[in-house]
Amino acid sequence: MHALIIEDDHTIADFVARGLREAGFAVDVAGDGEEGLQVALEQSPDVAIVDLMLPRRDGLSVIDELRRRGRTTPVLILSARRSVDDRVRGLQAGGDDYLTKPFAFAELLARVQALVRRASRAPEPTTLTVDDLALDLLTRKVTRGGTVIELRPREFALLEYLMRNAGKVVSKTMILSHVWEYNFDPQTNIVDVLVSRLRDRIDRPFDKKLLQTVRGVGYVIRQ
Amino acid sequence: MSSGNETGSRYRWPLALTLWYSTLFVLGSIVIVLLTYVLTAASLAQRDQQIIQAKVGEYAAIYSRGGVRALAATVQAEQRTAPERLFVRVVSAGSEAIVFSDRGDWDPSRLETASLRLRDGTLIEVGKSTEAREDILSRFRAVLGVVTLSIVVIALTGGWLATQSALRPIRQLTTAVRRVITTGHIDERVPTGPHDDDIDELTRLFNEMLEKIERLVTGMRGALDNVSHDLRTPLTRLRGVAEMALAGQPDRERYREALADAVEESDRVLVMLNTLMDISEAESGAMPLHCEPVRLSDVAERSVELYREVADAKDVTLDVKTSGEVVVSADRVRLEQVAANLVDNAVKYTPAGGHVSVEVLSEGSRGLLRVRDSGAGIPADELPHIWDRLFRGDVSRAERGLGLGLSLVKAIVEAHRGTVTVESQLGRGSTFTVAIPST
Repeated sequence: MHALIIEDDHTIADFVARGLREAGFAVDVAGDGEEGLQVALEQSPDVAIVDLMLPRRDGLSVIDELRRRGRTTPVLILSARRSVDDRVRGLQAGGDDYLTKPFAFAELLARVQALVRRASRAPEPTTLTVDDLALDLLTRKVTRGGTVIELRPREFALLEYLMRNAGKVVSKTMILSHVWEYNFDPQTNIVDVLVSRLRDRIDRPFDKKLLQTVRGVGYVIRQ
Repeated sequence: MSSGNETGSRYRWPLALTLWYSTLFVLGSIVIVLLTYVLTAASLAQRDQQIIQAKVGEYAAIYSRGGVRALAATVQAEQRTAPERLFVRVVSAGSEAIVFSDRGDWDPSRLETASLRLRDGTLIEVGKSTEAREDILSRFRAVLGVVTLSIVVIALTGGWLATQSALRPIRQLTTAVRRVITTGHIDERVPTGPHDDDIDELTRLFNEMLEKIERLVTGMRGALDNVSHDLRTPLTRLRGVAEMALAGQPDRERYREALADAVEESDRVLVMLNTLMDISEAESGAMPLHCEPVRLSDVAERSVELYREVADAKDVTLDVKTSGEVVVSADRVRLEQVAANLVDNAVKYTPAGGHVSVEVLSEGSRGLLRVRDSGAGIPADELPHIWDRLFRGDVSRAERGLGLGLSLVKAIVEAHRGTVTVESQLGRGSTFTVAIPST
């Protein structure tokens, strides 16, 4: 997978590039809109991450030009502005997703992977497995080492989300928006509570712990 | 543009307005005056003509009854007694003047005459001097002249004064606007007149606009002040964590701890920044609200769903009571934020075994969302302050939180033209009631 980052802030570009490389991407970085557009046109990356405020050519115009030339490269927009109008404008210009700064890298990675997946139209799995834990998306049945585990709907939704992102850290914000479809931060740690309940069901009775907390970042389910 | 030019253009159009009105007014008056004069002159001439016509008839009758002699006697008698002497000439058929006034006494250009030829060929001619008439008319002309002149003067001064007084509110408006622009004091207001006319309407609207701008600007200023103040504390902590880690002995585990602390702290900064911006936007009216019909029971149920696990974990019962379908016009996401914040507070401050209920009901043209808890309650002296930014009561200090939740609730509800109220009894619980207009 080839990702192109068009971002003029070196620190941000560096950590995003490093993170994406660790996740298995080949990464190119362009420091301004003009250069970014050239690279995007010449190399046709699988995904582009475009900042809106760029020197020489702004992000919206880069996306616009790509689309005008018939390129369907999935684009994730990065912006420091969080108003709904800006989001709408970005998506109207041809962006596929929108992320507001500051962001958790885990969230950026999840979105980039979702874009790539959507573009490649990989078939949806019907069963998710991590180690001896299995989740059947059709029968909505969860088993671990053959033992059936009863989950409440909310716990099931959380586990499904974690298992779809198995091996990747998901942030509390991502969980809130996927499990409850709330896009603001309630002050109490709702996510912590639900995670600890889920942990009671899938990890407590077993020796090997699959659901891990990455302090300051979020949660991950892995072998 | 130079100031001289400005002053010039300031007087140009009121002057033009005055001149236009005065010209029309004066022209109208002159037409009336001329018409009056012409009609008066014509009617005076007509009267003279009638007088001499009548005399001619009378003389003809005397002539035909008593001949020349009788006529001469009558004429002579009349010439002596009548207030105004008439010119009389009787010429027989043989072109011989029989009776006549002395022609030398009469100026033929100022003589109005009428004549009648009788059957025997005698011509009777009577004339009347136009002098008296001319005299009246010339006096009349003088009067009309004075009148016209006064009309011109009145029209010009009146027009000027009227324009000035009509323009005064506009001038005040201009001055106020200029003052606002040059000084930046948006708390200025333009005085409104006692009438309910167009200018007052304009002034009123302008004041309203100023008020709106003022609210926005003060809101933004306040937001900036608050944000810079409120962010200092978490940023200090953030910096402290990093600095302490760097200053100490190199230690992997300690670094990890510090980094995790730093990430958590910066998340808190972000949440705080977003919340503060939301509050300021809502308070200043700058928050874009995408209003649509929203079922309050949906909002209540979703907020309860969100806190279900937290309440269970705390052994607090959480339920929803709805009565009928209550629909309000609101921004769904914002309203959910309000409900979530209230339920969050209620669950947070209710001890194990306690109870939180969310009720939805309608009252007149408003929908009510009521969050009732059996928690600690709020001391009376803290009640008025719970809506303040960053206020943390004695009880709440022990809990996690930013102290912004209720400020946000109030700001969002008020941006929806709604109200939020609280009743609380210490040790027995609190009830928060949000009222949102249905339309």
